[in-house]
Amino acid sequence: MNTAIETQGLSKRYRRVTALSDCSITVPESRICALIGPNGAGKTTLLRLLAGLARPTGGDVCVLGGTPRQDPEFLAGIGYLAQDIPLYRRLTAEDHLKAGAHLNPRWDGESARTRLRELAIPLDRAAGTLSGGQRAQVALALTLAKRPRLLLLDEPVAALDPLARRHFLGTLTAAVAESGGELTVVLSSHLIADLERVCDHIVLLAESRVQLCGDIDTLLAEHKVLVGARKDTSALERAHTVVHAVRTARQSTLLVRLDGPVLDPAYEVSDVNLEELVLGYMGASAAPALAHLTAVGEDQ
Amino acid sequence: MTWLVWRQYRWQAAIAALLLAVFAAVVIATGLQMAAQWHSMLPACTRSSPCSATSASLGSQVGHDLVVLSLAVPVILGFLWGAPVVAHELETGTVNFAWAQSVTKTRWLLVKAGWLLLAAAVWGGAVGALVTWWSGPRNAFYSEQFQPNYFDQQGIVPIGYAVFATALGIAAGALTRRTLVAIAVTIGGFIGVRLLISQTLRAHYMAAVTAYYNPLGYYSPPGGAWVLSTGVVDKYGHVFSGGSAPQVNGVPVTAIPASCRGLLFRDLNTLSRGQVHQAVSCMQASGFRGFTTYQPASHYWPFQGIETGIYLALAAALLAVTVLVIRHRDA
Repeated sequence: MNTAIETQGLSKRYRRVTALSDCSITVPESRICALIGPNGAGKTTLLRLLAGLARPTGGDVCVLGGTPRQDPEFLAGIGYLAQDIPLYRRLTAEDHLKAGAHLNPRWDGESARTRLRELAIPLDRAAGTLSGGQRAQVALALTLAKRPRLLLLDEPVAALDPLARRHFLGTLTAAVAESGGELTVVLSSHLIADLERVCDHIVLLAESRVQLCGDIDTLLAEHKVLVGARKDTSALERAHTVVHAVRTARQSTLLVRLDGPVLDPAYEVSDVNLEELVLGYMGASAAPALAHLTAVGEDQ
Repeated sequence: MTWLVWRQYRWQAAIAALLLAVFAAVVIATGLQMAAQWHSMLPACTRSSPCSATSASLGSQVGHDLVVLSLAVPVILGFLWGAPVVAHELETGTVNFAWAQSVTKTRWLLVKAGWLLLAAAVWGGAVGALVTWWSGPRNAFYSEQFQPNYFDQQGIVPIGYAVFATALGIAAGALTRRTLVAIAVTIGGFIGVRLLISQTLRAHYMAAVTAYYNPLGYYSPPGGAWVLSTGVVDKYGHVFSGGSAPQVNGVPVTAIPASCRGLLFRDLNTLSRGQVHQAVSCMQASGFRGFTTYQPASHYWPFQGIETGIYLALAAALLAVTVLVIRHRDA
């Protein structure tokens, strides 16, 4: 399987702020990859580096077999949708479609028009008068009309209501299905439930570093939550990797990356869901299964 | 890119075309009136009593005010067209639409800036051409086209000013990333550069001509020249050009040799030709000379070319800075 994205020690520093440091990730082709992380974790920076809109201050990055750069041929392969849904307020969807036809070599305006008509979005109204959900759909249709090989979406659903979010993600998954394995998607968000539905790959960023990267099913199978009476866990830690541990006076709840079966019968072993996995790695304390406990954070 | 630029700016272009048409209508109406007045004056002018000797004034106040206002056209283009080009798109995030297409940032900027600079040149040139035509009779009557402010409205310099102001607006927008700040920088920067160049640099584009004459006389260079300075100079090169002290033709009484004072301090109206000669000879013998330094009328078009070239070069430099800023700034 080819890789769509591969980075090695990628970092980006703006004058005094480190936006991304030592980021090494791999995303195979035709995946839908969730890019998760708290605000300020470096998600936007990573996407802009991948899109060729920013230049790294360190490390290597390879996207679609080349270095991201300001070059029409490279840019034609990238569908980048910025966080604030960039559309000219006074131009209509049709105007944007025509502009896209002038600015891209492989433009497919007709399927974009069809998609927008199906969603009952008027093509002849100024973008500024459309609802947030409609604007996001127009922007996504424009991004897809470019027929990119890599779609980079920066929190496209953050501002949308749940129904609009569902429609947006529906359009996205349909587009990936139609592409016949030609399209790779990286989708950043902090709405884990949405991502869980559509994504099969994950990159987790926190504090400008990669915490976790890989296939979601594989990662979920590798991780378990162990609950048991509070006791010395050093034996367990020798056999497995304890990602995150929370302890009360009587009980320990451990998120563990397994290196084989858990032999100690004192622990009750249960599966993790994506949210628990993500929150465990972020060292957050709000995960349902891990609630009321405090973070220890042995994940670094 | 061109299609997008046209789609974005077509209304602004239409409004600007309308305003230009209104300006042209008023300039042509008052200009025709003034030309008719001029032609009716011409038959009365002779070699011995040239038109410029009459006390009549030429043209209407409305036309004149409007033409003076044309000095502001470049800076208006600069902040209405130039300043928002980059700044407004950065503020509203629409750059992320343009930059997400298969178009490099550099090309995006060059095409946008190129069309706007061309439009500025056309509008600035059209206004300049109208004012030049309008000023025809006045130039013949007052020979004023080389004088400060009149020079700045006519010929080809308005093209240079308009292109420079627009490039300044674009660069200010790219550097400050705020439309309002860019507008302020454009207005301030344009006025500053215009004043600096017209007040200090312009007089030195080409070597000036200095005419010397008798220290009590007066010299008027051939019509259409730009007089830079006039006065009296003594044998040590010390220049006298008026002041508040008691003086004769600008030379303070205290600087005049005692031997000449007696010849000068009489009622000048009663002096005979011979006595005047005597006084002039005395001053000349003491090393005093009258002088007038000026740029001759033949320098008018070279000056227009040099000044336009300076502003176009400044515009090119600003455009280069803008390209560098857009290419190297990541966020």
